[in-house]
Amino acid sequence: MSRSAPVAVTGAGCICAAGATLPGCVESMFGGSRQPLPPVRFSTGHSVKYPVFEVPEEFFPPELPEDERLSRTSRLAIAATMEALGDAGLDLVQLRSMRVGVCIGTTVGSAMNNEEFYREYRRGGRPDMSPIERFLRSNPAASVARHFGLTGPVQTVVNACASGTDAIGVAASWIRGGLCDIALAGGADELCRVTYNGFISLMISSNEPVRPFDLDRKGLNLGEGAAVMVLETDNVVEGRKRKKRSWVLGYGSSCDAYHLTAPKPDGAGLRQAIREAMDAGGCKPDEIAFVNAHGTGTPDNDRVEGRVIAEILPDIPFLSTKGFTGHTLGAAGAIEAAFTVACLEAGRVPASIGFETTDPEVSARPVTETTTVNGGVAISQSLAFGGNNAVIVLGKGER
Amino acid sequence: MSNKEKIKKMLVEELNLEEITSREIKDDAPLFGEGLGLDSLDAVELVVLVQKHFGIEIKDMEEGRSAFESVNALAEFIEKRSRG
Amino acid sequence: MRRVAVQGIGVVGGFGCGVDALARALTEGHVPVSRVASIPSDGTVSLPALLADTAPLEKFFSKRAIRRIDHFSRLSLLGACLALTDAGLFDSGLERMGVIVASGYGAMQTTFDFLDTVIDDGDICASPTHFSGSVHNAAAAHIAMQLKATGPNLTVSQFEMSFASAMLTARLWLQEGRVDRVLLGAVDEYCGVLGYCRERFFGTGPDEIMKPFDFTRHSAIVGEGAAFFVLSAVEEDTCYGTIIDAGLGNLSGDTPALPEETIFFLGADGHGRCGIHYKTIVPDGASVAAYAPLYGSLPTGQAFDLAIAALSVRDGRIPASPGGAMVAGQWKVAANEKPDGRALCCLKTDSSGGFGYITIKEAA
Repeated sequence: MSRSAPVAVTGAGCICAAGATLPGCVESMFGGSRQPLPPVRFSTGHSVKYPVFEVPEEFFPPELPEDERLSRTSRLAIAATMEALGDAGLDLVQLRSMRVGVCIGTTVGSAMNNEEFYREYRRGGRPDMSPIERFLRSNPAASVARHFGLTGPVQTVVNACASGTDAIGVAASWIRGGLCDIALAGGADELCRVTYNGFISLMISSNEPVRPFDLDRKGLNLGEGAAVMVLETDNVVEGRKRKKRSWVLGYGSSCDAYHLTAPKPDGAGLRQAIREAMDAGGCKPDEIAFVNAHGTGTPDNDRVEGRVIAEILPDIPFLSTKGFTGHTLGAAGAIEAAFTVACLEAGRVPASIGFETTDPEVSARPVTETTTVNGGVAISQSLAFGGNNAVIVLGKGER
Repeated sequence: MSNKEKIKKMLVEELNLEEITSREIKDDAPLFGEGLGLDSLDAVELVVLVQKHFGIEIKDMEEGRSAFESVNALAEFIEKRSRG
Repeated sequence: MRRVAVQGIGVVGGFGCGVDALARALTEGHVPVSRVASIPSDGTVSLPALLADTAPLEKFFSKRAIRRIDHFSRLSLLGACLALTDAGLFDSGLERMGVIVASGYGAMQTTFDFLDTVIDDGDICASPTHFSGSVHNAAAAHIAMQLKATGPNLTVSQFEMSFASAMLTARLWLQEGRVDRVLLGAVDEYCGVLGYCRERFFGTGPDEIMKPFDFTRHSAIVGEGAAFFVLSAVEEDTCYGTIIDAGLGNLSGDTPALPEETIFFLGADGHGRCGIHYKTIVPDGASVAAYAPLYGSLPTGQAFDLAIAALSVRDGRIPASPGGAMVAGQWKVAANEKPDGRALCCLKTDSSGGFGYITIKEAA
């Protein structure tokens, strides 16, 4: 695999249960706090309450009120984009004078799963068309482009839990390929009954706060949120004389081609993706400061991922931030990339919350306290249903 | 229809085992791995099917594992749990 | 950007299965239409639809091997197998092949099948099999699993812009040398809810004939199917031509710069509202064609247009557009002409001024 040119990141925004903004999330993570609770916005017929990480209404920016014609997923994506653009020092006038692309990963954001509508349709009723109109208006990447008046390439990636990481990788290739001057890349997903019921039916949801990599882990907690990063060509960022916050140094992806819901036991697909990302970034294992793992807290994922980390990235600090955010599906890879940028800047990573006891089947242990990290390069990785693996290598910037 | 027959019908129809009939499933044949060759996704689907067709809840896969060893094992499990 | 060669094509839709079936439909100029009920309880309200049959998939896989694969993923898998077979690659090692699937609506029927289990028997009886099939990347995953394709794998979903957007990524993967080939495809399925929406938005209409060039009325007939392509960066002799350009944008920004003497294969599929937008991009006097009556109205219909454009390059002849028109408003209809080295631009617009285009030409 050949070396790819680094792509500058000038801003990042994040909204999830851990915080209304990226600094807010970082503060709560280093403070070691989290609040998984049973869902409030919807109810289910399960007698067991499975905790989730919901985004409270007050986290949304006041300039972005709820809009019944726009999905919650798109609203989250736009909120994160607003913060990212502010962080990058870009106003709408500047933005609209350039060719700006949008690449967003999602799962729920692209699903037409409005239960009320469907129940009535099934009964032979003639349900109102507003849920359909909302769905047609709410493709996440298209919504962001429309909201900010952008006319460059647009893509919504629906690669399940790897979508956020893949979206950043795709956007970086747009920048390198000259398809646009700026690319807004990230992921967004909202909590809903369908995914809540779906993961419970797969018996991989935990009725306790999630414990990534822990011996006694019982499964995942779902979450919701969004994160967006601003990627720019060298010309644009030099022209603006803007300090780079980070670099996308490399991206790799693969498919296990093994099973629809279980990862391949030998982790071959993940290894391939890590190798591709590191080759593209020209990095060696001993240069990696830390790894933001996928770490969902399911027995299978953490075992396979943990083993791969132990083998090919030994002695490198790693953590799962899903203990703070829940599994945000299509947003996860992007939220975790934003956290990786912030941690590289800070030169430290928080404890991997929820972990206490090493699982002998995994052998690697994530960090159990705030840990100083040395090095200018870090990895963020995602494993998804369908066997997708996606890995990005991010570099420390100038801020 | 006996529970065993009901189980076999459920397996064939709900898991789309198109090339086999209920009668061809042996009572003591393994359901997973060898025998019927079901996998982990079938296992969680079976948990839901047992709830739906027999009203019995399987709380985790530890419980499920022994119940799903064969048609016999599942029938026994259902009988035991039905008696309460 | 490097040119990308089309080495194989696999299609399944209302016209049948395979490029030969598509070629026959092009010659005949029409495809028989089914009728489907648009509301579950009222069989009297029915719509015309162009439905696709996935039975030919059993030539490639045993029933057992594909028992859990839903209609959406079957369409996709069939398209993929046909494309690989057409390219002579079905039995090759596929490690250096990327897989990209575009879908306008994703696995809609499976999402509703999942909701059925919840509505019928309660949340605790939600089906994990239907849930895992409803995630949009299931189709690409099944392709990878059945064909052992372990390279990069991506699914893209954004209504009418899905296929053009996916093509951008395919070209970049080849440009960057991430893979040697890309299996790029598009798939959309029909489901009852779609039929209901069609009826609510546009009425049932008297016609069973689509008139793509008539932008004053709604004549769309819902379709479903899959169209897959094997793309490579190596410009070996390929009868199907090379992709020379692809792009996405919005009419509130710049319109695409296209070569003079371009023939436009319009993704017009009987939705009047999008018609205005074709008129903004396609210059007066240009040569156009429209083939949606052969595969129906579906968000990823552009992929079928690309297949037809590739066949036009192969056969040295642009087929007549169904309906037999020779003039469409301010445009000429290219019918039975030789491409003569002209670029064939497959153009799709949506109702918000978005456009996506893919341009193909004879290999130089």
